Amino acid sequence: MSELTISRRGLLAGSALLWASTALPAIAFAQTPKKGGRLVLAADSEPRNLNPAIVASNGVFFISSKIVETLAEASFDGKDGLEPRLALSWEGAADGLSVTFKLRDGVKWHDGKPFTSADVAFSALQIWKPLQNLGRTVFKDLEAVDTPDELTAVFKFAKPTPFQLIRNALPALSSVVPKHLYEVGKIEDNPANNAPVGTGPFKFAEYKAGQYYRLTRNDAYWSKDEPYLDEIVYQVLPDRTSAAAALEAEEIQLAAFSAVPLADLDRISKVPGLKVITKGYEGLTYQLVVEINHRRKELADLKVRQAIAHAIDKDFVVRTIFLGYAATATGPVPKNDPQFYTADVPTYPFDVAKANALLDEAGYKRADDGKRFALKLLPAPYFNETKQFGDYLRQALAAIGIDAQIVNNDSAAHIKAVYTDHAFDLAVGPPVFRGDPAISTTILVQSGIPDGVPFSNQGGYKNADLDALIVKASETLDAAARTELYKEFQKKVAADLPLINVAEWSFISVARDTVGNIANNPRWAVSNWADTYLES
Amino acid sequence: MSRLRRFLSTPEAVAGALILALLAVMALVAPLLFSGDPQAIAGPALQPPFQDWSLPLGTDRLGRDVLAELFHGARTSLAVGLAAAAAALLIGAVVGTLAGFAGGLVDEVLMRVTDAFQTVPSFLLALAFVSIVGPSLGVVVAAIALSAWTGPARVARAEVLSIRERDYVAGARVIGMHPLEIAFREVLPNALPPVLALSSVIVAAAILTEAALSFLGLGDPNRVTWGGMIAEGRTVLRTAPFLSIVPGVALVLTVLGVYLAGEGVVESTAVRRSLS
Amino acid sequence: MTRALRLLRRRLVGSVFVLLIVVIGSFLLLEAAPGDAVDAYIVSTGGDAGMIELLRHRWGLDQSELTRLANYLWALLHLDLGQSVTFSRPIRDVILERLPTTLILMGSATALSFGLGSALGIYAGARPGSFRDRFLSVGSLALYAVPGFWLGLVLIVVFAVDLRWLPIGGIETIASAKTGFSRAADIATHLVLPVSALGFIYLALYLRMMRASMAEAWRQDFVLAARARGLTRGRIVLAHVARNALLPLVTMLGLQSAQMLGGSVVIESVFAVPGLGRLAQEAVAGRDTPLLLGIILVSAVLVIVINLLVDLAYAFLDPRVGAGEASA
Repeated sequence: MSELTISRRGLLAGSALLWASTALPAIAFAQTPKKGGRLVLAADSEPRNLNPAIVASNGVFFISSKIVETLAEASFDGKDGLEPRLALSWEGAADGLSVTFKLRDGVKWHDGKPFTSADVAFSALQIWKPLQNLGRTVFKDLEAVDTPDELTAVFKFAKPTPFQLIRNALPALSSVVPKHLYEVGKIEDNPANNAPVGTGPFKFAEYKAGQYYRLTRNDAYWSKDEPYLDEIVYQVLPDRTSAAAALEAEEIQLAAFSAVPLADLDRISKVPGLKVITKGYEGLTYQLVVEINHRRKELADLKVRQAIAHAIDKDFVVRTIFLGYAATATGPVPKNDPQFYTADVPTYPFDVAKANALLDEAGYKRADDGKRFALKLLPAPYFNETKQFGDYLRQALAAIGIDAQIVNNDSAAHIKAVYTDHAFDLAVGPPVFRGDPAISTTILVQSGIPDGVPFSNQGGYKNADLDALIVKASETLDAAARTELYKEFQKKVAADLPLINVAEWSFISVARDTVGNIANNPRWAVSNWADTYLES
Repeated sequence: MSRLRRFLSTPEAVAGALILALLAVMALVAPLLFSGDPQAIAGPALQPPFQDWSLPLGTDRLGRDVLAELFHGARTSLAVGLAAAAAALLIGAVVGTLAGFAGGLVDEVLMRVTDAFQTVPSFLLALAFVSIVGPSLGVVVAAIALSAWTGPARVARAEVLSIRERDYVAGARVIGMHPLEIAFREVLPNALPPVLALSSVIVAAAILTEAALSFLGLGDPNRVTWGGMIAEGRTVLRTAPFLSIVPGVALVLTVLGVYLAGEGVVESTAVRRSLS
Repeated sequence: MTRALRLLRRRLVGSVFVLLIVVIGSFLLLEAAPGDAVDAYIVSTGGDAGMIELLRHRWGLDQSELTRLANYLWALLHLDLGQSVTFSRPIRDVILERLPTTLILMGSATALSFGLGSALGIYAGARPGSFRDRFLSVGSLALYAVPGFWLGLVLIVVFAVDLRWLPIGGIETIASAKTGFSRAADIATHLVLPVSALGFIYLALYLRMMRASMAEAWRQDFVLAARARGLTRGRIVLAHVARNALLPLVTMLGLQSAQMLGGSVVIESVFAVPGLGRLAQEAVAGRDTPLLLGIILVSAVLVIVINLLVDLAYAFLDPRVGAGEASA
């Protein structure tokens, strides 16, 4: 979707004649969106804080992105992979010290007040920078936001900040909330955190704990005629098997974020009236990673890490655990990233004999019982697949004489054990790639991160070269040069294996045939759904 | 011998005994028949049963041999059940005996603690305990025992109350035995039979609790248990129902067997008592 | 009457101690847990060291354990259950929202297992040793041996997905704005499957107990006397045997009340019922100590009240029972 489509739609609404006669792209013609209807979909968790400006996470976006909008959204065909939302354009200064946003005119908050640059300034300075989980890193050098007029916001940075990074951060980190509601009292205690107010196509209506969230149509949405739906209802279904049953029983029309287990997809794709959609998550790639505690002397040895990498049959993992709905990984940037990915890195083909030889070379001979040494393996409990991969990894390690004992923790205990107590040898983690390595990828290998920071290097790995490279890339303003540095970064990580990247996966949606305009952007499940519709 | 015959006098008890015997055999021969790691990947994933005779019951999500898991699961399920029941009976018998024999403040305190444990839903207690200490077989056993000892404690106390006034206890007092010695040497052994009668109920409950904990993702991942197999199979309940049906049937039969056999024992002893 | 009052007083005094033990024990257990509410929270968000410190401070987790326990008990004295960390709302409100659902679920399931169980028990026990007796008692045992979650999943597949007779889960049709009678009917439809899953499991308990007490009662003098008087078998069963066998069942009802709540944890999760059991599970996962304490406390009070009622009923029903004996 671009500006072009929006204006075309405006035209369309005006004349029925145009409808039939203009040479519309076939796709737009075939999918004439219908107005009205209630979309019911499955939600497997209940985020308490629904303010996406404070909590930039997919669980919150899934609901809040329909209510609170960002400056820009990810796009399949837009320039730099972006399309405008609250901002119409964005431009970085050559010195990297400022970025200028031109904002959309005529936008109103759900309570009727006008949206202005003051809201953007307030959100950026008072929320993204000091409070937001990801913004605290990306906007750490943001010093001021100038508002020369109501529709211009100029971000001023204390240190040169790559425009490429800011741009890549826009879809996830730039949710704008109303200043007039947040400027009184403590931001963290604001009631709007639980009943968000935004500029988006849907308004927050109600939340019944343990049952549902309900959003209703924003009649005053800035994009004329949108949204198409009257209501969106998120039905809370905590059990992993119930989403599939609810779809089949026609109680819900959509299950996103792989709420239907992968193993059930083949069967459910044959159910009449249901479709399985693999698109629409390109911008939300999760990585299957073996985290390594380099404090263990065996694991501090590169040969041992190489042996483990060779012992993992990545094709088996993709085929059997992900049933093909994933890709094998080569390094810390996923293959589907259009900007940074390079395939030119050292690889570790599945080779048990070589792995055994490497371990022998490293001096860890098999004892009489065939075992070389024992390890503690902690698979993250958040996904079925991470747990299953833990089971697989245990078997793969057994084949090369490493005796891994799995420690099964719930989420809180896992976070504490791995990221605060470092009570692990190997862990299986699902870090998220957020479109730019500087947002949440480099911290997986960078040294000097304090204890207790989740999804960061807590394995005691320290590589001065790599640290220097990460710092240099974070200060490089030229996009091409910066991209080159991150390619170098991928090579170094793949060569030294501070962690082992095994696979990359996105999610799957299952929907009834009647749901239209699904998966039309790379972050579809967490985008605003203004153009989603239901056929009667 | 006649006691055994009495025990086997009802078809229910015979069925129970047969099931338990079969289970014991499965548990014993598991390491011989399936010598390797039962969690090793043995073939293609999700192979249905009765297709490949080297994998008669098919394979699970990762390609592990379901039959091997079933046999090894019998070991763990039985071990969990027996260990938890033994621990619960032991704790219960000791607490009950102490409370009943000491009386007074000790009795009051111990019984209020028992009340407290009985007031909290036992599964909730087990759930919290395992989430907190971390799931391993030992912890699961401890959690189940922790939530099951109150019944035996009450029965033991009631029994001790009736025994402690008997002649031989008074006799032991007269010859100057230490009260604790009297309690555990003279009183406890005599109070034990009705407490032991609870064992089948506790074993059965323990096996079911382990399964429910596994269902909620709180099983020991390094061991095969039937509960864990059902929990893993339920995500593919529609695609590969055999993965949860096979261990499910095994579980139901086992619990049934334990009950029926337990009842047979209780009834045969009851008959013997009423005869004597 | 005075006996009942004495029992009541004794129970209330004892209950205070019991509740104190429950609260302190649960608190210590939860404090021993690896990871706190912040660890549970950042699973879905991530964040840097500063943010984590900020959260710990805001949620009061940087205070010592003893301070927090003292604060909690002090607030409890004022009947204040405190603030939930994960919901950022008063715990009293969160629990009151869920309690009715669980009470309806447990109440209906108990009624089902008690009613159907004792009826079938009477039917089976009327002719001890007959085929129907054996079939019913082994059959109900087999149901008892089925893991509750599994029974639930199978019921969903058969009745909600394949036959589409009943909804797959939840407590009522979401956002339907139904009121009055149609809402009650709606809730009832939603409860059929979870109540069946929960109730059928415990059916065996009452069935077998009723059957056993009836088998016992047949041998007793007053039944022999009734037989000698030439009363019909049916009348003996209902008027003498079954009535006499009801007493231990009432006791069982009290004992089972705590177990039901435990069983509902799993059933509520399978059927997406927003009840107390699921809330407890969420509280454990979210390391929401005060919330879990609140739930345990409420369920403990519930259990104590139910047992008290059972004992009082017992004391009225059976004059032989002394107040002292009933407390053991």
